[in-house]
Amino acid sequence: MSDETKAAIRTFIVENFLFGDDSHPLPADLSLIDNDLIDSTGILELVGFLEERFGVQVADADIVPTNLDTIERIAGFIARKQAA
Amino acid sequence: MSSVRSFEAGDVDAVADLFQRLLRKTAEPANDDLKTYLRTLFIDFPAAEPDLRSRVHVRTDGSVSGFLGVLPVEMEFEGRRLKAANCGTFACDDREEDPFAGARLLRDVLAGPQDLSFTETSNDVSTDMWRSMRATVLGPHSLEWLRMIKPASFALKAAAGRLSALRLFNPLARAADAILCRRGEKQNWSHYIPLAGKADAFVDEAVSDAEFADLCRQFVRHFPLRPAWDTPVLETMLGHATRKALHGERIQHVVKTRTGKAVGLYLYYGNPGDIGRTVQIMAAPGQEAIVIDRLMRDAHARGLVAIRGRTQPTLLQAMIGKKCAFLHTSSTIVHSRDPALLDAMANGRVFLNGLAGEGWTRLIGDRFG
Repeated sequence: MSDETKAAIRTFIVENFLFGDDSHPLPADLSLIDNDLIDSTGILELVGFLEERFGVQVADADIVPTNLDTIERIAGFIARKQAA
Repeated sequence: MSSVRSFEAGDVDAVADLFQRLLRKTAEPANDDLKTYLRTLFIDFPAAEPDLRSRVHVRTDGSVSGFLGVLPVEMEFEGRRLKAANCGTFACDDREEDPFAGARLLRDVLAGPQDLSFTETSNDVSTDMWRSMRATVLGPHSLEWLRMIKPASFALKAAAGRLSALRLFNPLARAADAILCRRGEKQNWSHYIPLAGKADAFVDEAVSDAEFADLCRQFVRHFPLRPAWDTPVLETMLGHATRKALHGERIQHVVKTRTGKAVGLYLYYGNPGDIGRTVQIMAAPGQEAIVIDRLMRDAHARGLVAIRGRTQPTLLQAMIGKKCAFLHTSSTIVHSRDPALLDAMANGRVFLNGLAGEGWTRLIGDRFG
């Protein structure tokens, strides 16, 4: 998975869930759920962003924490989708 | 792995439990009446379509953790027949454990085969979710109108909802209202008195479900995007609306000229001393203000302390000058991939809310058991 993908996801999260505050460390393995950064509303925004930015189709069954809870998992998920 | 699938008869107990705990906010277990009703409404409803069903979110162990109720509605627009998903009851458990359940349910429903989806009872959390799915909030459909009739009794009634002992002050409130409502000959936002006017030239009378259904079909025709109700479905809906024990007696009236021509109708619930709840007002084009006046007179004559309901653009327009208060409690939201439908909905050319919503179901305002 590329650093570019992680950077794009990080930028989206900072802009949309941290209101542009990029002083947050936001490590790639930080749980977005446990840290209250993402909820049911946020996940829909994130999925919309992933579909548009990376040209992937996110199925209902894909919307689970295993795929989308950290920047690392999201980037891995995108890589798998693009490789499929 | 957790999943989303169609609501089935075997899910009724679990969904009834979610409804009680999360929407009615009570620890009382769901009774058989509620369970039977959920099945009647979401599985056996006459307009049910196999490819447009309510959905449940199911945990890995097979237990149900979320529900989104869908009622199929046949609609029409410019001669085209459309399928619409009327999305109402939305409840999800385990927000801590699985915060994505609600998102998956909504996304799954909105991706269905329907031409458009809508809800009229979206709370703030659901509204944010719908917005994330690029849905449109219809402001003029999303306000609650309230016309105060007896201010002191209204204030007491509103407060007694939280502190029932305040009901002891009812006689005092009635005396205060008697003084307040004697003042002046002009309408005032604080109280209502019927004044001579155009509405005097009209009469209203109770009508059967069959006649009411016919009139609904007649008055809805001037909306370009509208429900294509057939009579049996509409009569079934009115059958559901027969009783709302929490809201009071049902008043189902047609408004007519003295020569007998119907110009509108209204359906509301309320007992003397209570705040009335309007489910539907419909009118021939240009007659909305008359129908609203007749409704307010009726509510006043029955001794209601206030009457409220949901706005629609034409009603909102006709209420200007009638000293109503407007507030937002839940939102009407629409979703479609068809720009022409979105344009019609965003520009007030759609008939939504009330009978084209959830207001007619027993889930709103009735007691089960």
